[in-house]
Amino acid sequence: MIATHDAKGTRMAAARVGIGGPVGSGKTALVERLIPSLLARGIDLAVITNDLVTAEDAERIRRSGLIDPARVSAVEAGACPHTVIREDPSLNIEAADDLERRFPGVELILIESGGDNLASTFSRDLTDFWMFVIDVGGGDDIPRKRGPGVVRCDLLVINKTDLAPHVGVELAPMLAQALDVRDGRPVLLTNCRKGEGIDAVVSALERDVLFRA
Amino acid sequence: MFDAEAALALLQYGDSAYPAGGFAFSWGVEGLAADGLLASRQDLDDIAWEHLTLRWNSMDRPLLGRAFRAADVSGVTAVDRYAETATPSAAMREGSRRAGRALLGVSVRLGGPLSTLYRASVSQAPLLGHLVAVQAVVYRDAGLDLASAELVSGWTLVNGLVSAAVRLGVIGHVEAQRSLGLCRAVLADLLAEPVPAGASPSSFTPLVDIAISRSRPVRMFTT
Repeated sequence: MIATHDAKGTRMAAARVGIGGPVGSGKTALVERLIPSLLARGIDLAVITNDLVTAEDAERIRRSGLIDPARVSAVEAGACPHTVIREDPSLNIEAADDLERRFPGVELILIESGGDNLASTFSRDLTDFWMFVIDVGGGDDIPRKRGPGVVRCDLLVINKTDLAPHVGVELAPMLAQALDVRDGRPVLLTNCRKGEGIDAVVSALERDVLFRA
Repeated sequence: MFDAEAALALLQYGDSAYPAGGFAFSWGVEGLAADGLLASRQDLDDIAWEHLTLRWNSMDRPLLGRAFRAADVSGVTAVDRYAETATPSAAMREGSRRAGRALLGVSVRLGGPLSTLYRASVSQAPLLGHLVAVQAVVYRDAGLDLASAELVSGWTLVNGLVSAAVRLGVIGHVEAQRSLGLCRAVLADLLAEPVPAGASPSSFTPLVDIAISRSRPVRMFTT
């Protein structure tokens, strides 16, 4: 476990990590892979989902058996998936505060955005760090479109790498373009279906968010 | 005499973009549309009128006044508990608390002293935090008088109803402005008649209550 109190004994707030990206890019699948990996590394965890419709993703995670269902909260987006994480993140902030109150030892809260397009970004008032998930099935020109989500996130994840040969995508040029539009800031490749690349994402969170070596 | 500072404060707090979670609450518009009871601007106008006259003016407004005039936190808490017990629909109660807590959270982060004090009570009591009680606290922190607080409370309600209808595709943006114009007239008429301090709160909006309370497989709004 990492320290949950500072030198003066004041409890530190949990780190809040946003996970955004287009519909179907694999955000929930990534969360489902991250949960056991983070728990295995001793990280006290909770999850918030922002479902476009009802609480589908929250229910999927609650029923997965990967995490105590009480540690999964759902926030409805009112048909505004951008707004709930950017212009008005107040409902997500309240949900995160509530999780911290109910689970005082929680160190990391994953906040999964509702499926959206390439323009969504997370408010810095809501998250300490945010990832953006795209997938090769959306086409290898996604990075080149320079959407704010792709360009401004702290970590870009390109998922479904296993599909590349089936959809005519060459991974190396796609990765190079992603790095180019992001001025070299981090890009990681994953195949959430098989768990490939997940360790690298977890290591990035440990290093850049939780400041663990 | 036109008071620009006061008018600008009303514009800020009554803005649909004010970051207090209002966009996620349709207060029955989504359910009524799903049930086929809200399919036109006329339907929306009727629902907005019902909300304003049969709930907001007779229930929320007297409670807002009580909480606004409360001498201390316990007075606000009493109003908050009243709102909890006087709201039969569980979904409506939950929605009201979530909306209230979001509004309170923003005010606390902006440094509102009363809000900070009230937040301490709310964080210890899961059934506190109803929107109407919180509005009183937050708008006092904002320096509004009671009349202005009532105006903002009523306006944010109708703004939310109409905005939800637009996002659900029930009406377009021009029709939305016509609806808001009508709501403005209704609200102005209601505000012209002050609510006595001892007014007994009541409401009768069965269609809205049922629409919010029904369990639905597909839902985009909190209420």
